[in-house]
Amino acid sequence: MNFPVSKIKANLRNWWRPDVHNERRSLMLCGFAAVLGLGIAGVGLFNARGTRIAGVPPEDAAVVNRSPILLSDYVAQLQALYNVSPSQATPVQKRATLDSMIREELYVQRGIELGLQNDFIEIRNSLVSAVEAQQEIDANATVPTEQELRDFYQNHLQNFLPEGQMTVTDYVAPDLSSAQRAVTAVRSGTDLASAMVADGLRSSGATDDGEEFYFAVEQHLGSTLFAIAKRLPDGQVSDPVTDRGRVHVLAVHSNRQAAPQDYSEARDQVLAAYRADKIARMRAGTDRFLRERADVQIAKPFQ
Amino acid sequence: MQVNQPLSSASARSIRLRRIVLLAAIPLLLILAIAVALIERRQRTEFLQADADRILDDPRLAAKTLAKGRDIFLANCATCHGADGRGSTATGTPDLTDEDFLYGTGRASEIESIVLHGIRSGDDKGWDLAWMPAYGQPVPYAREKLPSLSPGEIEQLTSYLRAMNGTKGEDPTAVAAGNVLFEGRGGCWDCHGRDAQGDAAIGAPNLTDGKWLRGDGSRRDISRIIREGLHGVSPAFRGRLDPANVRAVAVYVSSLHARKDHE
Repeated sequence: MNFPVSKIKANLRNWWRPDVHNERRSLMLCGFAAVLGLGIAGVGLFNARGTRIAGVPPEDAAVVNRSPILLSDYVAQLQALYNVSPSQATPVQKRATLDSMIREELYVQRGIELGLQNDFIEIRNSLVSAVEAQQEIDANATVPTEQELRDFYQNHLQNFLPEGQMTVTDYVAPDLSSAQRAVTAVRSGTDLASAMVADGLRSSGATDDGEEFYFAVEQHLGSTLFAIAKRLPDGQVSDPVTDRGRVHVLAVHSNRQAAPQDYSEARDQVLAAYRADKIARMRAGTDRFLRERADVQIAKPFQ
Repeated sequence: MQVNQPLSSASARSIRLRRIVLLAAIPLLLILAIAVALIERRQRTEFLQADADRILDDPRLAAKTLAKGRDIFLANCATCHGADGRGSTATGTPDLTDEDFLYGTGRASEIESIVLHGIRSGDDKGWDLAWMPAYGQPVPYAREKLPSLSPGEIEQLTSYLRAMNGTKGEDPTAVAAGNVLFEGRGGCWDCHGRDAQGDAAIGAPNLTDGKWLRGDGSRRDISRIIREGLHGVSPAFRGRLDPANVRAVAVYVSSLHARKDHE
């Protein structure tokens, strides 16, 4: 056979020309693309290292099976291990730090492969805490406006009452009649200390440290006596009251009930409560979402 | 009725030339786009891999970073810290322009970590080692057993702290009792140190320098903090801000006090 050189050249020129129809070229290109695609897929499928991404992203120090080791974490680790910044660290320190982080990442990935979250209570607790923490992070990320905080404060005023304060003496009487005599004497104008001594009443010592917050008075006296003391105004004594086998008389020296404080006074507490409320709502929402999405089947005996 | 007329050879050449230009332009634009992307990536890599604490030393990097950092600060941080970064003693937001560092030593890398992970933000990598207990509550501190203090004891501690900051006329008996509480039952020394000069490793402020995070050091403000506690939150911007933007704003914030040095 005799092929003229000029014809071969013309064929080659036409082969690359997109405006000239060439069925053979189309087939060859399709075939080439198919082989290339299969080759890439094959390497990805059978290579134990998995698919590699094109280089390490600038914000990462390394990438381990596509999981990034963040530069910020690397810098923090360098600081924690050697108390140096990246520019102060020696190559050995840098390498050792990165090696330890890569090892940790590999072990974490291996742990997930092995499903260790099913076996270790600590890991399960950590995962639950981490998901809850994520909700906290999200809730904290948005800063409420002052108006939102003021509205929250107005709607939950009772939560921002400051603790009341009280100075009270808890007298213990030998019996009910001497307690009654002492109370009558005080109410008719006798000096408190003299009246108590005269009828044999003595302080129980429970609240002798001076002024206390309401919660502390309640802790020291118990809820029954505290409820009585809380209602008494300054300078009043209670009727004799029997509590836990003893007869008491309460003498209230000062009683400062809780009064609503200004928003500006309560702002810190309002902000903390606002965030706590938001976190609680987000958690409830997440719980609902997870349950709706999940296929939960409960065995008959436990339904 | 239109008749297709044969094109002149000049027109044909012109069309062919246009096609060639068009065909050549596509790969050229592609190459240009790739080149721009590669340059940007290289700059981004250089910026992110640089030591954050040294960026201000490099005039080329510093100028760009500060401009970008300021924009990010105004968009994300100024709501609480104010556009000038001076914070607010009314809300207990720290002043970022002074040398009184609540956390760390004011280095850009430390600030970068705070921007990323926050303070008491819920992020496990954030700063959350201690809270100021609320001594006027039944349980002052959830993480550690601490006693509640009585109103009188809170007043004694207040007197002690005010005397430490040079306030004249505090009752010496109350000051002495406050000192005993500070170093004893109150457990204040545990975070603030026996000298009350604080500990920037856990965010415990210096209580002797006359600078107050919340309020103005009045009796009312100090006793309120002791009674109700203080635990401000700085949000974590990890995942919300690009790492390069986090770094830029960290460098900008570090420059706020650094710049003061140069004034």
